[in-house]
Amino acid sequence: MQGSTESNSTGFWVYDGLCGIALRQSECPALPLNDSRQQMKNIGKERDTQGERSELDVRKGLFRAKPFVSDSDTGFSNSLALSKDSSITLGTPHDLKCVTNNLQMWDCSWRAPSGAGRGASYEVCIENRSRSCYQLEKNSKIPPLLPGDYEITVNPLYEFGSSKSKFILNEKNVSLIPETPEILNLSADFSTSTLHLKWDDKGSVFPHYSNVIWEIKVLRKKNMEIVKLVTYSTTLNGKDTVHHWNWTSDMPLECAIHYVGIRCYIDDPQFSGHKEWSDWSLLKNISLPPDSQTMVFPQDKVILAGSDLTVCCVTQEKVLSAQIGSTHCPLIHLDGENVAIKIRNISASASSGTNVVFSVEDNIFGTVVFAGYPPDIPQKLNCETYDLKEIICTWNPGRPTSLAGPRSTSYTLFESFSGKYVRFNRDEVSANENYQLFFQILSNQEVYNFTLNAQNLLGQTESTLLVNITEKVHPRIPTSLKVKDINSTAVTLSWHLPGNFTKIKLLCQIEINKTNSEHELRNVTMRGVESSNYLTTVDKLNPYTIYTFRIRCSTDPFWKWSKWSNEKQCLTTEAIPSKGPDIWREWSSDGKNLIIYWKPLPINEANGKILSYNVSYSSDEETKSLSEIPDTQHKAELQLDKNDYIISVVAKNSAGSSPPSKIASMEIPSDQFRPGVRYNFSVYGCRNQGYQLLHSIIGYVEELAPAIAPNFTVEDTSADSILVKWEEIPVEELRGFLRGYLFYFEKGERDTSKIMGLESGRFDTKVKNITDISQKTLRIADLQGKTSYHLVLRAYTGGGMGPERSMFVVTKENSEGLIIAILIPVAVAVIIGVVTSILCYRKREWIKETFYPDIPNPENCKALQFQKSVCEGNSALKTLEMNPCTPNNVEVLETRSVAPKIEDTEIISPVAERPEDRSDAEPENHVVVSYCPPVIEEELANPGAECGGGSQVIYIDIQSMYQPQAKPEGELDSDPVGGAGYKPQMHLPITSTVDDLDADDDLDKTAGYRPQANVNTWNLVSPDSPRSTDSNSEIVSFGSPCSINSRQFLIPPKDEDSPKSSGGGWSFTNFFQSKPND
Amino acid sequence: MDLRAGDSWGMLACLCTVLWQLPAVPALNRTGDPGPGPSIQKTYDLTRYLEHQLRSLAGTYLNYLGPPFNEPDFNPPRLGVETLPKATVNLEVWRSLNDKLRLTQNYEAYSHLLCYLRGLNRQAATAELRRSLAHFCTSLQGLLGSIAGVMAALGYPLPQPLPGTEPTWAPGPAHSDFLQKMDDFWLLKELQTWLWRSAKDFNRLKKKMQPPATAVTLHLEARGF
Repeated sequence: MQGSTESNSTGFWVYDGLCGIALRQSECPALPLNDSRQQMKNIGKERDTQGERSELDVRKGLFRAKPFVSDSDTGFSNSLALSKDSSITLGTPHDLKCVTNNLQMWDCSWRAPSGAGRGASYEVCIENRSRSCYQLEKNSKIPPLLPGDYEITVNPLYEFGSSKSKFILNEKNVSLIPETPEILNLSADFSTSTLHLKWDDKGSVFPHYSNVIWEIKVLRKKNMEIVKLVTYSTTLNGKDTVHHWNWTSDMPLECAIHYVGIRCYIDDPQFSGHKEWSDWSLLKNISLPPDSQTMVFPQDKVILAGSDLTVCCVTQEKVLSAQIGSTHCPLIHLDGENVAIKIRNISASASSGTNVVFSVEDNIFGTVVFAGYPPDIPQKLNCETYDLKEIICTWNPGRPTSLAGPRSTSYTLFESFSGKYVRFNRDEVSANENYQLFFQILSNQEVYNFTLNAQNLLGQTESTLLVNITEKVHPRIPTSLKVKDINSTAVTLSWHLPGNFTKIKLLCQIEINKTNSEHELRNVTMRGVESSNYLTTVDKLNPYTIYTFRIRCSTDPFWKWSKWSNEKQCLTTEAIPSKGPDIWREWSSDGKNLIIYWKPLPINEANGKILSYNVSYSSDEETKSLSEIPDTQHKAELQLDKNDYIISVVAKNSAGSSPPSKIASMEIPSDQFRPGVRYNFSVYGCRNQGYQLLHSIIGYVEELAPAIAPNFTVEDTSADSILVKWEEIPVEELRGFLRGYLFYFEKGERDTSKIMGLESGRFDTKVKNITDISQKTLRIADLQGKTSYHLVLRAYTGGGMGPERSMFVVTKENSEGLIIAILIPVAVAVIIGVVTSILCYRKREWIKETFYPDIPNPENCKALQFQKSVCEGNSALKTLEMNPCTPNNVEVLETRSVAPKIEDTEIISPVAERPEDRSDAEPENHVVVSYCPPVIEEELANPGAECGGGSQVIYIDIQSMYQPQAKPEGELDSDPVGGAGYKPQMHLPITSTVDDLDADDDLDKTAGYRPQANVNTWNLVSPDSPRSTDSNSEIVSFGSPCSINSRQFLIPPKDEDSPKSSGGGWSFTNFFQSKPND
Repeated sequence: MDLRAGDSWGMLACLCTVLWQLPAVPALNRTGDPGPGPSIQKTYDLTRYLEHQLRSLAGTYLNYLGPPFNEPDFNPPRLGVETLPKATVNLEVWRSLNDKLRLTQNYEAYSHLLCYLRGLNRQAATAELRRSLAHFCTSLQGLLGSIAGVMAALGYPLPQPLPGTEPTWAPGPAHSDFLQKMDDFWLLKELQTWLWRSAKDFNRLKKKMQPPATAVTLHLEARGF
């Protein structure tokens, strides 16, 4: 909904609380809307035919001034109105009412006297300070009065029997009812379902700037359902102004007839009377354009996904069903057979849109709705150029819009500096949805400010990019790569790189691949040229080698490499072989001919294809040559005379000949040499100036083993080492090149060693191989003192081992070690003794407590006195029958005060705390003795008579270690198997009670661990058990691994903390208790 | 009408058989003047192949149009598509047609249908659909050429394209997307009916023209193509 005002007013009054003023008029409680129609009817009855203008005929909102008869002197009062009845009968004008619609004239009317005919005239006088009279008809206009009370006298003229009436009139009692507005134009835009309303505020007739509230209502269908009621505020500025208001319908306007009405309310701040709504204007309507052929509206609508949509079908036939996609929708009935459906939260459409179909008896009508999204902000916008002629901008469209074909997003690339733009043609989208646009580079512009605008029917977005295009050059792939020889080690590469790179530098990378070798990369920088053909030289190549070149380029500053160009292969030209072939010679078997051999040159030395070899031999007198020996042959046989010759071989390829390799024919006969003799060979060249030493070597014809053993002496002897020193063997005795010495040593006396000899294989013989022939001494370490060692030394050469020389050495005695070996243990023993003594002395109290505590005399215990007497009584019985004394038979009569003293809470037995349970079996017991002193001499002396109560207490004491809190009996009863899993062996007696008889079987099964043997077994082996005769003995598990005769546990408690928690003295007590049984 | 790709095994078997029989068609092995027989057989085979091709294309395209067009029981009235050549014809009328009329009607119908189909191709929103349509158009173009060949072999003149019959597939302003979809639906449906009718036509023609040596083909007929 929009509003606008055609006005050139330069100022207007802002008047707050405009409505407030209206509503504060308590006299008109339902001011804005409700009573207007009724008022209109009322006023219609009072319409005066003498109204000057038809617009003024319709009036409402009456003020009834109170009339009074002029003759009366009773003044203004309500009673006057009543008393006026008599006046009415007499024919007095009454019911004066004044309204205004423009504040410039008040329309006042009154009821005529009963006898007055039409056209009757009245004299109306208004009295305030002055008196002014008008001759008027019954319903007439008077000029507006200033605020204040005025007395109005209405005097009918020419009427007999009627008298004049007086009224009091004040502005406050006058109603301001604006003129009924008139709709100038109502038009509709069916494509957008928008209504356009136009009306004139007729502000020229109003004297002041005033605020106006317009109320506009939109009614739909023939039964005029209100679909929109809206207020719209403007100001009156003394001119006629045309206002506009737009409203977009949620339902297509074609679906049903739409009506629009308007009324207004003028809030003039200077007027103190009633302000009321004008009457509603005449309704204007919009109906379906008659020429429309389509039946379903809206057609081909594009809407935002997720929004609501109303689709209607205008038809004369009965619509049977409606569906959107494959979903059926409930029908909303409109006028006639027309129906609509409401689609809420529509989901994004497929590429061909969402179909909405209405089915009638024998036909279908439909429309396609395109629900989608506005374009996403273009992402990853990137602009670069291949050739500095054209910029390619690519981007990612982001979230799909779900709109395709003609509704898809259109893109415009705008460059702000040049003001140029290019549009994205949808057909250019290739199969891989590549979004790109081409922008021609401008000759004098390097920096471009791109804005990519994305737009579809639902909205638009944009993304920007500022780019210096010379820094974003991504060259295309170099083409036409050519290679041309310069010489055997350099070539020229040429290629074509399309682009206008004259203003920038190119950086190109050449990849050089040699067969069976790693590729090499070389960078070249060059200026861009207009012709786009580039040339560079690649040198430092090998001759006669196949190279593969390829190239890629980028620009400076670097942005991106181009792709690699195609590879180009090239064989470099040949160069002369870099050296002559390796040669050697051999005399033929008959000794007459010299055969020269040579090795073919490797390819990197041949520098080309070897075509032939030239062999020449020269003596002082002559030079002969065997030329053009083909490449396949690698030897030549020469017939030489007795002269000495120098033979030279050269290899030839197409580039030329190699440097010659030379060898001489001279030789010395070999029968003059003997093995084992060192010879010095010196070769001298014979030059013009004299002889010159060319080379000197030392050698043997054959190496032999040394003839003698090296002399060696013992330089130094200590308790654990011997230092040996030896002398070199003279060269003539060596008979070969010395390789090293072997040194053997072992324990041994002179006599035995001589017999046994020395062999390295013996287990106690150690060998040291001395390969450093310059070494002349050796220290043998880790020997035993005062021991005889047998040492042997021998030298060896390439010819073998020489003879050995041996020696016996006795190491010195090690006296210091002996002393230390005695002193240290003695010192340690003394220290330990001293420390132990000190410790024992200082901890003597503790030791005494621990090992030799004072054993209290039970005789001194009062409680035990009692206990003893009981037990004694039982023991007396025991001799007669096996039933021992049980605590059950002990009744504490006097030591109540004692019992709490000895009942430690932690060692209280749960059994002891449930006398009511025990009472089933032993009803006579009131209090059970809960503690039995651990050591009772009588019990020990007579285990069979052991106090049952005593043993039980101790047993329970153990239990309490594992159950630090003695559970209430009820809990134990109800949960006999609560300790399933591992059961400490002491657990059982506690849980086995008389009451647990039924649960006992379960307990047996569920308690994971049973101590040592089953209960029955125990009972068998402990016939002296206090419970052995008890009928419950089967279920009263003793549980304890404790011997009946002993209170020492066979299996001590694992838990280290438990003794503490159950009383610090427990374990020690137990410990000592077991002692007498030992 | 069942345009869905349902009976794919049947179609595959049909296609395989057709391809298998192609070398056995005597027309391909003859050296002398083959007469119209081989080209009729070829046209017939092509028709059957196009029928198969159309099934997959129609399945794709109707899914593209969306529900309810791809629903199996969707059967809208044939409205506003009067320009489409109608394949359905009274049986008596069909029998009374002579060979020339029959071929002429086929030729004219496919000329029109091809034009409409190309319009469809221009409108399709997805690249994949456009590829499928273009492929089918090429095949249909081949069928048209094949029919022309048969007509030429039988000595019939090709029908002259009437002025204004070249349909321009530019939707008018009143042509809504929905009506366009309806047209597309009917185009595919008519195309299917035409192919079915053509297969019948060519089969009849083939039997008439060919000597009884082509037992294999007759056998195929008996299997109920």
